[in-house]
Amino acid sequence: MKTFSLCLLAATATAGAHPVSFEGAWQLMLGGTDTVQNFEVYNSYTPKTAFGLHAMRFEDERDDDYYTGLQHNWLLHRWNLPEAQANLYFGLGAGAAKQDGESAAPAGLGFFRADYETRRIYTAFETKFISSEDVSRAVTSASFGVAPYKAEFEELNTWLIVQFEHVSGMEDDLDIIPKIRLFKGPYFLELGCSLDGDPLINFMIHF
Amino acid sequence: MNHSIILSLLGAWLFLSGSARAATERTMTVKTTVDGMVCSFCAQGIVAHFKKHPAVSNVHVDLTRKVVLLEEKKGSSISDKEITEFIKKSGFEPKKVERVSESFEKVKADKKS
Repeated sequence: MKTFSLCLLAATATAGAHPVSFEGAWQLMLGGTDTVQNFEVYNSYTPKTAFGLHAMRFEDERDDDYYTGLQHNWLLHRWNLPEAQANLYFGLGAGAAKQDGESAAPAGLGFFRADYETRRIYTAFETKFISSEDVSRAVTSASFGVAPYKAEFEELNTWLIVQFEHVSGMEDDLDIIPKIRLFKGPYFLELGCSLDGDPLINFMIHF
Repeated sequence: MNHSIILSLLGAWLFLSGSARAATERTMTVKTTVDGMVCSFCAQGIVAHFKKHPAVSNVHVDLTRKVVLLEEKKGSSISDKEITEFIKKSGFEPKKVERVSESFEKVKADKKS
């Protein structure tokens, strides 16, 4: 259990991760806080569709919930503008979920994501829900970020982002998480800490 | 008289075939304007796709100028159709493909155009 948690320690909503990448790409995403952890691996078999595995763990004082399932993601629409890009994504998953100590039951996952970014401004909204006989969780987040400088393709990109996140069933109603996002080449890393002092780490790689 | 005509034709053929060979063996630089290219992490696919093409020896993504530069290998060529397809497979919108006579490094270093 501890190993599983550590492997997943690295997410919540993986806010910032595009659920569909370039054609032929594999992308691995790990992330989390101390209460929600996330693991995703997808293959983008077209520029608008990806298929893979998604696992999540939710832990609070009352429950310890797990979900694992296969997932299909769609890029519903992309606006490629001269100075910006905007995207709408949708995903469906099917698998199993369980509470600690209980047996697993069939479960479903759904998510919707919208984002808009220029080289200096970043905004994203994402909502995700998981439902089974015993488990019902929803994670909704909104993120706003600025880049302190315009990084070129080969340079280290830096973003300063504030993420507002709500996880249903958790003790706190809304988490506010300031974070720093760094990426260079195929590597992506986010480090943050909620105003309550809970750390966040997200990692992603394309290959 | 006949000899001079034959020699003239032979000279012209040698000149034209030499020019044609020089043109195909010269490295060409291809400059493609692309919309939506605002994030280097998301643009990784462009480099990944073009690096696999046997006619391409070098790739450069310039986010400021919104261009992708390709250097073609001597004697090889990548078609405009392939370039357009690769950009689309990478998730972006190609706008214009042009071939320029300047070297890849010179166009890469030129920050104005």
